[in-house]
Amino acid sequence: MAEHVILFAGPMGAGKTTAIRSLSEIDVVSTEAANSERHVVDKATTTVALDYGEITLGAEDKVRLYGVPGQKRFDFMWSILKKRARGMIMLINDDAPDAVQTMIDYLDDFSELYDQGGVVIGVSRTDLGVGPGLQAYTAALAEQRPQFIAPVFGVDPRDENHMRTVLMTLIANIEMRAMLAPAAEAAAP
Amino acid sequence: MTIALHQDPAAIEEGRAALAGMGEISPSMVYAALLTDDGFEIVHVTRIQTDATRFASMSSSIQALSDAVGHELRIGASDYVIIGSAQGHVIQMRVPGRPVVLAALFQSHETLGKALSTTRVTAERISHRFAASSVPAMAAPNF
Repeated sequence: MAEHVILFAGPMGAGKTTAIRSLSEIDVVSTEAANSERHVVDKATTTVALDYGEITLGAEDKVRLYGVPGQKRFDFMWSILKKRARGMIMLINDDAPDAVQTMIDYLDDFSELYDQGGVVIGVSRTDLGVGPGLQAYTAALAEQRPQFIAPVFGVDPRDENHMRTVLMTLIANIEMRAMLAPAAEAAAP
Repeated sequence: MTIALHQDPAAIEEGRAALAGMGEISPSMVYAALLTDDGFEIVHVTRIQTDATRFASMSSSIQALSDAVGHELRIGASDYVIIGSAQGHVIQMRVPGRPVVLAALFQSHETLGKALSTTRVTAERISHRFAASSVPAMAAPNF
């Protein structure tokens, strides 16, 4: 049985915990605390260590899903969990202030995961129509970080099918890169 | 708009007084911090060099992880957490009735029993001080 460790990263309020709850086949381990920053993101609780869930894809692949806290002050948890992961689903809420730049900043913070396997970006809350919209993220990626080839999806983290599509895309991406890696190494001068 | 607990002057003042009292009860205490459940430092007292902001975030994560372990094993939320090392021990516990954690570092020669007792007494004092000075309660999550 193949195992994948996938990280869910992105700012507070993007829907990381919700996405893992949508996908997981087991009771999700959550570490929620009362949110002191209601003026920043108006939600009652926030993740302060990690979320953990599991899903089996097909007959063979067990996927371990880890969510990290969104706030930079918990970046020690980012460092711990980054080491274990082979890929990342980055969630960005379209209605966040300066959402496109936030995506770029998080990509830079988690750039190792692109090298270790792959990254897929999910933009949530696009239905509100108050953010820059999907095209802005794709354009910013191409312009500012052309080295990151990452698919961008519009997602509702509450929707299992949406999140499953994103996850399957990431797994396919990771497996494809792993398959091509020996050929790329052989071709290197 | 309600002021955040870690920015509330009354909480900071009452916390500082309680932590100072803790140091008097137990001179082996070299660091103590009061923090919100989500990792914001309210106040700390120290005799060592450390990054207080980072320590508050780490304590918050540890508290939440210990609660998660308690729930997983169906023994309820953790009463306290102890981190033992050759050069000292860290004890942390929630302030009763508040989404606030008290975390303290004691020198290694201190007995765990006294360190634990000192931390517990101080957490209770902080709870009473907050209530007496009308520090607003903030709903703690209930999982």
